[in-house]
Amino acid sequence: MAIYDVHVTIENKPGISDPEGDTILNDLVLKGTQKTVSKIKTAKMLKFTIKEKDKKTAQSKVQEICDELRIYNPMVSKVTIDVFDS
Amino acid sequence: MSLESQELSDLKSKIGREPTSTELQIVAAEWSEHCSYKSSKKHLKMLPMTGPLVIKEKGYDSGVLDVGDGYVVTAHIESHNHPSAVEPYGGAATGVGGVIRDILSAGTRPIAIFDGLRFGNIEKDQQARWLFKNAVTGIADYGNCLGIPTIGGEVEFDECYQNYALVDVAAVGFGKKENLIKNHAKKGDLVILLGGSTGRDGIGGSQFASDSLESEDRSAVQIPDPFIEKLIIEAILEARNEKLIHAMKDLGGGGLSCAISETADALDIGIEMDVEKVHTRESDMHPDEIMVSESQERMLIVTSKIKLKKLQIICKKFHIGCSVIGHVKFDNYMHIKKGKKTFANLPTDVVANATLLDLPSKKPVYLDTIEKEKKLKPITDYSKLMMKFLASPNIASKIWVYGQYDHEVGIRTVTKPGRDASVLRLDNGKFLSAKIDGNPKHCYINPREGAIGCFEEACRNVVCTGAKPIGMLDHLQFGSPKDPEIFWTFLESLKGLTDFAKFFKIPCVGGKVSLYNETPAGPIKPTPVIGVLGLIDKKPSIPQKISDNDCLVIIGDTKDELGGSEYFEYVHKFIGGKCPVVNFEDSKKNMFSVLKVINDSLVKSAHDCSKGGLAVAVSEMCMTNQIGCKVSLEKVPGEKLSVDRILFSESHSRYLLALERKNLKKLESILKKNNVSFKEIGEFGGYRIQFTNSAKSIIDLRVDKAQKTWLNSLRDLVLHG
Repeated sequence: MAIYDVHVTIENKPGISDPEGDTILNDLVLKGTQKTVSKIKTAKMLKFTIKEKDKKTAQSKVQEICDELRIYNPMVSKVTIDVFDS
Repeated sequence: MSLESQELSDLKSKIGREPTSTELQIVAAEWSEHCSYKSSKKHLKMLPMTGPLVIKEKGYDSGVLDVGDGYVVTAHIESHNHPSAVEPYGGAATGVGGVIRDILSAGTRPIAIFDGLRFGNIEKDQQARWLFKNAVTGIADYGNCLGIPTIGGEVEFDECYQNYALVDVAAVGFGKKENLIKNHAKKGDLVILLGGSTGRDGIGGSQFASDSLESEDRSAVQIPDPFIEKLIIEAILEARNEKLIHAMKDLGGGGLSCAISETADALDIGIEMDVEKVHTRESDMHPDEIMVSESQERMLIVTSKIKLKKLQIICKKFHIGCSVIGHVKFDNYMHIKKGKKTFANLPTDVVANATLLDLPSKKPVYLDTIEKEKKLKPITDYSKLMMKFLASPNIASKIWVYGQYDHEVGIRTVTKPGRDASVLRLDNGKFLSAKIDGNPKHCYINPREGAIGCFEEACRNVVCTGAKPIGMLDHLQFGSPKDPEIFWTFLESLKGLTDFAKFFKIPCVGGKVSLYNETPAGPIKPTPVIGVLGLIDKKPSIPQKISDNDCLVIIGDTKDELGGSEYFEYVHKFIGGKCPVVNFEDSKKNMFSVLKVINDSLVKSAHDCSKGGLAVAVSEMCMTNQIGCKVSLEKVPGEKLSVDRILFSESHSRYLLALERKNLKKLESILKKNNVSFKEIGEFGGYRIQFTNSAKSIIDLRVDKAQKTWLNSLRDLVLHG
């Protein structure tokens, strides 16, 4: 058994609007001198620390938890799960 | 795509050629049930829609009522059932946004929101709890951000909504009569799209709402943005004050297709537009997608070339997008182009007027036997039963829900949620009372009488605040109209509502029909939801604190009508029996007598008797006033019934009045003169809720304990399962 850090990134699916990201872009970043930025997307990240036998199990376990507890709505959100050695 | 082969050949013969793909998309969106009302429109005409206070103008999305002194009230009801069933937070929130824009499009400021929510069995079903919790949060987040109070509604749970959600949102607007938008257009006027950008979200939403909900077909999700909505409200109202708007329509189901064709048809004009001018979220959108996208927070405005500059300055000030997408012409065609290339060119009357259907109807077989009662298990301990009842999701206080809503912002709210109906102060010194009510359990057993009952209940609630009903909104929610048995229940409900509205001369000022509400387990129960608006000319009846020795008077007869009651369905798990029937004459007498005694300031508070019957209504009065009451059941007027039936029958036209003993004589003489059935059945005082039958104790509860259970059980159920 080893300890892993699992990062779950939840963001709106492509094509679905992201008012928060748009606001940060238009009303904050582009208001300054930065003109090279063209898009900002917001996301929520959950950082799990989990003890599992390997990376793959750590990832599937976290995925299972998020699905079961409805931490995101698969209709709206895209979820990316990254596993790191702790 | 949900154009049927018959409709396709209809379209071809009407335009005399093959339609293009864009034309097909436009027509499919506009001819969907959601936009065209093709199954229901023929029949909806039976409702009375005119009255001395009703103001009618072409192209209004909301009902307008004249409340005197140069002011008007607008009202509308909408649902967002299909989107909420897949994404409760966004679905419920965008539902609020949609109905608010309907109010705005008449040129009035939205001043209140109501919501009616229905879900599956939250005691057993985790999905129902998730839907409930998120829909409530969605409404709260959206309404609270806008600074519009959510002041009322209802919440109900029933097995028939398993894996589904009914989210009904009603809104009320207020403004000066002279500021109403008189929809009109001149040749050469410009067509402007204002608000959020057009994206791929919610593509095909209206068709989606017109098909049954299949588990895998869940794609039309919309993301709410209340801050843009708020900016749109302020920008539009400023433009209205500057007289910059010739005509206006909100973009809802069917997106641009629907807004362009309906505006053109209503104003008898043609519109030429260029999809390249629409401000989009993504650069690679196809004209078909732009035409049917249901992106939220957008308005269509017609204005003149001269006024455009001023409108653009207002939009710039509020940081909202504003694109000139086309112009008005006089050939009655909607001409959709991309640059120079034509993608669609259709006569607007063809697009905006789908072929109306005359669907067959047939009385459902189940109704033949539904009134037969089964033998019920005798109740041994009524006090214990009553505590369980007060904790049940349908009876328990909904404070967990309305406590999340800002119901006072705007400082118009005189009577807050949690009472019979909420009351708003208007600028002309009058008050507006409003309530929405539904009862699918009654409507399932008897679609006609159930619907009338919802209407009467909403009237009763409004009357309890001292208001005279002046208008109604109907929201008719049923399963697939292609099933003749379901369509029969739709027609019966509609006929019932029409009869009641005509008898009481309450015009229908707005409404919505939502069909194809089907879950994997089958159609929902018939769920008409009725909103009633009442007007108070002088001062509203604000409930006063009930104190010791005040008397309790009941108006109206208690009858053997327990079909669809909470007692049968929650306690005995039995669906059936005879549902309550409204006697129109009695209803009128009782209603006017209650208004009279309220206006004469004879009562401290009035409360209607509905879900859960007399037992629950008396307990609610005790719990909100934190005072006990001793009720003698043998005194309750009506048929001779067993104790449980007196306690829990949900007969209509009943009111409970609390008053000081010194006013009793006067009250009695008025009620006698009006030939109303009534009786003093109890006295307030102490700290116990007690029901006795000929001196035998039936129910005996401590008020504080009952109140704690009643107030907290719904929250505990949602948060802790």
